[in-house]
Amino acid sequence: MSKPTADWERVGDRFYRKIQLYTAVFDQDLELENYVVVGAPYSGAVAIYRDEDKLQAYRGTQAAKSSIDLYSCAGKLIRRINWDKGSIRGLGWSEDEKLLVVTNDGVVRCYYDLQGDFIPFTLGHGSEEHGVKACRFWSSGFVALLGNNQLVSVSRYDEPRPKLLATPPADEIVSWALIPPAYTLSRSVEVLLAIGQTIHVVDASECEDRMLQNGPFKHISVSPNGKFVALYTDDAKVWVISSDFQNRLSEYDSKVKTPPKDMQWCGNNSVVLAWEDEVHMVGPNGAASKYYYNSWVHLIADFDGIRLLTNDVCEFLQKVPDVTEETFRLGSTSPASVLLDAVDQLEKKSPKADDNIQLIRPNLDEAVDICVKAAGHEYNIHWQKQLLKAASFGKSVLDLYNSDDFVDMCENLRVLNAVRFYEIGLPLSYEQYLRLTPESLVQRLLNRCEYLLALRVSEYLRLPTNKIYVHWASQKVRISNEDEESICRLIVQKLKGKRGISFGEIARAAYDEGRGRLATELLNYEPQAGKQVPLLLNMEEDSIALDKAIESGDTDLVFHVLLHLKKKLPLASLFRTINSRPMAVALVESSAMDQDWELLKDLYYQDDRRLDGSNLLLAEALAQTETTPKIEKLRMAAKLLQDSRENAFQVKAIDEEQRLLRMQDAFDKDLADQHNRFAGLSVNETMFRLIKMGSAKRAQRVVSEFKVPEKTYWWVRLRALVAKRDWHELEELSKTRKSAIGWEPFFEEILGAGNAKLASTFIPKCTTLPPAERIEMWVKCGLLVRAGEEALKAKDMNSLEVLRTKATGSAVHEIDRLMAQLAPNKR
Amino acid sequence: MAPHASINTQDIADKARRDLLQLLEGVRGKKNLVIEKALAGPVGLFVKFSTLQEYGVDRVFFLENDNVDSSQRNVIFLSRAEKAKQAQSIAGQIKRLRRTGSTDHEFSVFWVPRRTLVCDQILEEAGVLGEVNALEFPVYFVPLEKDVLSLELDDSFSDLYLRKDPASMFLAARALMLLQQSHGLFPRILGKGDNAKRLADLLTRMRSEQDVTSSADSSAGSIPSRLGLTPSMAIDSLIIIDREIDLPTVLLTQLTYEGLIDEVFTVQNNQAEVDSSIVGAPPSQNTSSSSKDASQPSKTSALKRKIQLDSSDKLYAQLRDTNFAIVGGLLSKVARRLQADYESRHKANQTTSELRDFVAKLPGYQAEQASLKVHTSLAEEIMKHTRSDLFSRVLEVQQNLAAGSDPSIMHDNIEELIARDCPLTAVLRLLCLESCIANGLRPKDLDIFKRSILHAYGHQHLLTFAALEKIGLLTARTTSAAGYLLPTAGSGGGAAGGGPRVTNYNAVRKTLKLIVDEVNESDPNDIAYVFSGYAPLSVRLVQAVIQKTALAQSSSATRGLAATAPPASAAGTASQGWTGFESALASIRGATVDETQVGSSKDAMRARSVLAGGGGAGQEKTTVVFFLGGVTFAEIAALRFVAAREEGRRRIVVATTGIVAGDRVVGAAIEKRGFGAS
Repeated sequence: MSKPTADWERVGDRFYRKIQLYTAVFDQDLELENYVVVGAPYSGAVAIYRDEDKLQAYRGTQAAKSSIDLYSCAGKLIRRINWDKGSIRGLGWSEDEKLLVVTNDGVVRCYYDLQGDFIPFTLGHGSEEHGVKACRFWSSGFVALLGNNQLVSVSRYDEPRPKLLATPPADEIVSWALIPPAYTLSRSVEVLLAIGQTIHVVDASECEDRMLQNGPFKHISVSPNGKFVALYTDDAKVWVISSDFQNRLSEYDSKVKTPPKDMQWCGNNSVVLAWEDEVHMVGPNGAASKYYYNSWVHLIADFDGIRLLTNDVCEFLQKVPDVTEETFRLGSTSPASVLLDAVDQLEKKSPKADDNIQLIRPNLDEAVDICVKAAGHEYNIHWQKQLLKAASFGKSVLDLYNSDDFVDMCENLRVLNAVRFYEIGLPLSYEQYLRLTPESLVQRLLNRCEYLLALRVSEYLRLPTNKIYVHWASQKVRISNEDEESICRLIVQKLKGKRGISFGEIARAAYDEGRGRLATELLNYEPQAGKQVPLLLNMEEDSIALDKAIESGDTDLVFHVLLHLKKKLPLASLFRTINSRPMAVALVESSAMDQDWELLKDLYYQDDRRLDGSNLLLAEALAQTETTPKIEKLRMAAKLLQDSRENAFQVKAIDEEQRLLRMQDAFDKDLADQHNRFAGLSVNETMFRLIKMGSAKRAQRVVSEFKVPEKTYWWVRLRALVAKRDWHELEELSKTRKSAIGWEPFFEEILGAGNAKLASTFIPKCTTLPPAERIEMWVKCGLLVRAGEEALKAKDMNSLEVLRTKATGSAVHEIDRLMAQLAPNKR
Repeated sequence: MAPHASINTQDIADKARRDLLQLLEGVRGKKNLVIEKALAGPVGLFVKFSTLQEYGVDRVFFLENDNVDSSQRNVIFLSRAEKAKQAQSIAGQIKRLRRTGSTDHEFSVFWVPRRTLVCDQILEEAGVLGEVNALEFPVYFVPLEKDVLSLELDDSFSDLYLRKDPASMFLAARALMLLQQSHGLFPRILGKGDNAKRLADLLTRMRSEQDVTSSADSSAGSIPSRLGLTPSMAIDSLIIIDREIDLPTVLLTQLTYEGLIDEVFTVQNNQAEVDSSIVGAPPSQNTSSSSKDASQPSKTSALKRKIQLDSSDKLYAQLRDTNFAIVGGLLSKVARRLQADYESRHKANQTTSELRDFVAKLPGYQAEQASLKVHTSLAEEIMKHTRSDLFSRVLEVQQNLAAGSDPSIMHDNIEELIARDCPLTAVLRLLCLESCIANGLRPKDLDIFKRSILHAYGHQHLLTFAALEKIGLLTARTTSAAGYLLPTAGSGGGAAGGGPRVTNYNAVRKTLKLIVDEVNESDPNDIAYVFSGYAPLSVRLVQAVIQKTALAQSSSATRGLAATAPPASAAGTASQGWTGFESALASIRGATVDETQVGSSKDAMRARSVLAGGGGAGQEKTTVVFFLGGVTFAEIAALRFVAAREEGRRRIVVATTGIVAGDRVVGAAIEKRGFGAS
């Protein structure tokens, strides 16, 4: 077995390694130099299409048909997307392996799986007129450069919102790059434009000139962590500066006359320049290393390294991870490397194994950790095993060791080796795997229709498998030629008893494929009512959709269906549909009450709900400002109810209101008072105001017109007079023989208004009350002597004594006198 | 090793705050916040305005005012998404800003608690969906207290019972599902009322759907919670009370301190707005809460003062649940103690260390003193109210009606109140109370009252009556409903629907002992103290589940039951459900719910029960009581009283769609417009 260090190379003081991932990648006939090649992040798929700017040999009509071809890293064709939609100005990938294709006319097609299905959207912002010149992508978005130098950014693909960035100068742009929003201070994407001698930084709000003099810069590249920028100057030098343009970190002179065709970062610490068949790797401090190929080479940058792609090989170039360097570097005496050696000795049954262990005893746990980690970074299965063996040996010596990391690493490596296999072609590095997450890895396998492996991986890592089944079934529905019944049977049979299967999604796939009946059948297996609704609406199964929405209890869904129906159906059939469904009726009523009374009227009319209809007219009458239309509406409201007996009360009341309004109108004319209009007052309030204004006669007219009960009238009169403080009139009233409400209220109200003297005149009239209360009433008026007299009449000694304590001044004597009057009688 | 923690309301508040701040952080730079009025209060419960400012909120506008300006580039709307109205308003304002504003705005909408299809549709129709960054702010329950969770949906009562719009029920189900996700399934769901049944069904349905949703959502990275599928160890049951089954309790005047504050001043989101002439001007540092709307220093803030009413105020925590009759005494006791403490400084100024102790306590004194001052003035104001003739009249009628005396005797009283122009809400509460207890008024009486009310308060109240009838608050007694005298006929007819249509109060009053004649207000021995003699039916139902013996003993009519019901041990009670009170339930309207939720995996269940076997019995369990349609402060007080009796064995957490009081319930029906010109 060759040593792992065989493919290492020293650049400056660091080691870099170039791992050969796959050989015989592309067909030898494929002229890679004429193709644009872009690779998805995290060792994802590679998309290639023929570069339109380059000449190509004429090979008859068949080959001239252009296409975008998706390959795995091992050169396996995943999908060929035939292309006839115009000139491609941007091709890129998102983190979750969505392929974005931007055409000249500003249309973006987002291919969300690797199977050729796409969602289009347009960039807008003048992209149609000016055309798209180029695009730069980051993990979840991209920026398009338009013909007029405007920049449009899209930061998400699920709900794309193209936004115009600040306007840069109109001069020619030599090269450009972007800093992803996650790494900028403003949290908005920043674009670096090389214009003339300098670089402009453009974000959402402003465009700033960085005032450099050494341009024009042929290439700009931003490091994966957004901290550094590499610039390729006109005089063949590479500069590495910090992305805030404050520090120049290193400089490298390539001494090559022709500018490179590409410059990319390899990890965060070196820059790779590519000419047609030559690659320079520039490490820190300008140290460099050169690689030569015998065919055209393409660069595909990833966050922890760079993939180099030629017709023959796919290689991964990265800085040797620290743990690996520590373990394998020639002459290394680190504990990990000693431990690795110990395992070697152990296999040779040499006692040196134990010597080694004793040597590193104090650092053994560290050595084990490092061996585990180094195994993760290793591509070669032999060395993975060797390192894990070493770790296992080491931890058997340790008394206490938490093996979780070791176990996890074994599991992860098994998964990694499985997906690195050339038929799958996902050469993930360990770091990439951690960042990608196992769930996304499974998703990538699904996109490649590798169901068995996806299932195995999910089960092995204890991830949910339901999505895999759903994806499989959807795909089955799309491509299967069998008749619908047997497909349905097959799917149901396979997925029966599996938890969390969304049949709605499968049905949606069937429907999209035009298999309506199959979709309906599958939908019956969907447990979530809500999930069925959108598809049912698409399938025009409106009433079923409504039922399912109601079943789900989600009012939003019901509303959604109702809005849909309202747009689609004539009113009459809408009402017929909702009629038998009380919840739907309630929701329509409730929302129409806020927005659309006409609809409500129609609804009530259709359902013959006269009382509701009449009430609606009543509400409309309330909304009117003038008296005449008010009365008109009321008349209509009453008319609606006229022929039904049970609403007689309602009709009468509405009638009354009309008369009241007319009457008030008359009052308003007679007693012209702009600020206090009668219109709108109630019957009692009208009387109240009339009395208060001293117009008792008119009040009497109201009484007779509306047959106001006597008691009510007395109360209103009393309150109005008190409010008016018309003591004279009240005194007159006190002379009447009888009051419909008794005299006590008079006492209370007048006293409450502060006129104790007048109030007291009503006390003797309250003959029905017990003496004790009358005594209390006198006291409230402050007339203790009268209270005493009352007590004397009632022969209530106790009250007198109480009064005696309250009394002051002459009243004391008076009460004494009264007590004396009472006392002898008692004796 | 209990995998389910018991419900901690603070966690819910913390999560809501974190979520909101994270959302705010997602919008870079300074921003203007446009908030729906009804949300301002709930949001204020868990995040301070100053914190919002730290997160870049420059000014706050109310959505309803439609006055957001272009002073900031970023504009954030915070609004509920269930109603179309808000979405339309948002669309309108975005359009306005786009038309008039010179700046290129960035719009974000945070939908509470979820983004709905309808709102998307409305924004789309208005042509603004494309430029709006729509996000969800998933806040469902907001904690009002350590034991009170509320959805704070102001309209839930009118939505549910007047408009029959079940949106709040759906939100409630979502909220309860979230509780179950973090604390485990409710082992038993009990409930009373047709809507309670619907809610329970919805919960069952959601649970079966949970499987699919949680795994479908796992694409977003969240691992499906397996905990959610097993019955909770910390919670023993959920009791759902449909407001509809116990409307009289809402209609009665609450007589606890907190209840009366609500009746007199209205408490919203733990705050009462009180005229500053009563409680004095706010202390100067209190600017954070009152200046919510910085854009327009409202005139009201000068006259009104917001008073925070929660348990952070120690004095209030003592007073809130007591009967108002004893509040005066308690206040003077505290005043005397404070006085004595303060006086003690004269004795204590001997040594410097004693002095230092005293000074250390000073801030506490000052806070207590300030709170004492506020509550004394509040109590005085309430006293003015309770001493009034109208109040005692109303109370008299209420007590008589509740006790079941012949309602017609009260009619003169009610007529007089109408003639005296007593507030319409008070009159309607009395009429509705009578109607609810006697299952409708005689049609003749009803017409007379309607006429008097139309005359006194205006004919627009024809609409009020229509609404009240729709809610079922004020109805005419029909011949068929008169069958309430024969409860068997009612239950027989409603068997398909799962319960009788009307409540037979004569029977329930006895079986559940709703009327308690001797109430000791200062040292209460029964929940009836909250209404000075009437025990709320809703809380009696809760007692029927968790305090069977106490209820059976106190109830004379079911004396035999105490013997038949097995002794209620702490662990045993919940599993019995309604046992022992079936007959009482049969005479209450609406369906009865009793469901047991078992985990999906039997093995896990068994393993869990084995694990819990030893230590589980002594553990404190939580009972969640959910009031669909709202709860009154008096009922909360009564439930706290019940919980205090169960201390150590059981906690009660009250959850609700919102806090209600009689005035607001009746007010939902009242037509506010008049026939006036404007």
